[in-house]
Amino acid sequence: MPASKSIQIILARQLASCVAAPILLVDAEGALVYYNEPAEAIFNQRFDETGEMAAGEWTARFAAMDDDRNPIPAEERPMMRAITKGHPVSQTIWLRRSDGDWRHLHVTAFPLIGERDTLLGAMSIFWEI
Amino acid sequence: MQVTLWGTRGSLAAPGPETARYGGNTSCVGVRGREGTVLVLDAGTGIRRLGATLGASVRRVDVLLTHLHMDHIQGLGFFAPLYRPDVEISIWGPASSRLSLRERLMRYLSPPLFPVSLRELPCNITLHEVPCGDVDIGEFRVSSALVCHPGPTVGYRIADACGTVLTYLPDHEPALGASAFPSLPRAWTSGGSLAAESDLLIHDSQYDAHQYLRHVGWGHSSLRHMLDFGTLSEVKHLIPFHHDPGHTDDDLDRLMGEAIADAKPGYRVTPGQEGATFEL
Repeated sequence: MPASKSIQIILARQLASCVAAPILLVDAEGALVYYNEPAEAIFNQRFDETGEMAAGEWTARFAAMDDDRNPIPAEERPMMRAITKGHPVSQTIWLRRSDGDWRHLHVTAFPLIGERDTLLGAMSIFWEI
Repeated sequence: MQVTLWGTRGSLAAPGPETARYGGNTSCVGVRGREGTVLVLDAGTGIRRLGATLGASVRRVDVLLTHLHMDHIQGLGFFAPLYRPDVEISIWGPASSRLSLRERLMRYLSPPLFPVSLRELPCNITLHEVPCGDVDIGEFRVSSALVCHPGPTVGYRIADACGTVLTYLPDHEPALGASAFPSLPRAWTSGGSLAAESDLLIHDSQYDAHQYLRHVGWGHSSLRHMLDFGTLSEVKHLIPFHHDPGHTDDDLDRLMGEAIADAKPGYRVTPGQEGATFEL
């Protein structure tokens, strides 16, 4: 059968595309699969321009620092911790946009868990502080 | 494979002279393989007549449930092979996040809703929770995936050894949440992988365009959405199915004619009529 996204990820994208809160979606491997228009405004980058990105690619493109301005390793970012720990994570971070500008964000990431406790990915909702 | 429609109606059985041509029984489709494998897709009221056609030589039947709404399981207790101790029956269907398939089915197959309990059936019965992946059943490879419809609901893609593919999506709303449908590629569309390049797609067609607007989120498609989904999926032949119980034969003739004339699909469309058989 041809590969396809799971219905939970498809519905999460549809939800994200209809709400005003910035939302970012990753799959179970941490690859970025979608971010919505409000998130595009924060990233200063349209999703159509980037498309889906592997975990290493998007975490490098949108670098993050903690409140003390220390770099946050990719595996310690809220989205990745939500996947590896399997529970919601909330944190304030500094995020570097595509134009090099830094934005102070509050991020809440939570895992998307499907039938038989299958990890499907994670969703993060964030807003500027 | 041979595919026979035993029940084409959605939501509620709708017998009567005004529905005699398309049929009044709820969802049930029989699939027979060249080597004798028997699959039953859903157990709506149409399953009773299907059961009567299975001869004494049939020893195994696999019933594939897409979900457990009443119109898809109501006929199960009237499926004659369930009462034959020499028959092995496997029932496949989705669990919920908290209840097993057995627990969910028992809610119907037990008093007071039904006099016979699942455990009292004389056949050799096995329940399988669909893995949302691939499984081999007899001569068929059956793939399943969750699709857009309220509650745990799967669609099935059934392929034989020759690569012939039947896809069954009787309750499906792939357009839910889309500002324009289809606007995303197949990989981002509910049911897209199940239906891709199918030889025969049996698909939900419950509403006309006006009805759909009053039923967004109910888990069903408009005729136009169904046709557009068929185009996106690059199917060869599409069977509109799960007809609204309020639609008479004349209504269905008119609505299908209008929708097909408007969409101009580049593939064959045969409105689902009870009793129709397709050789693939």
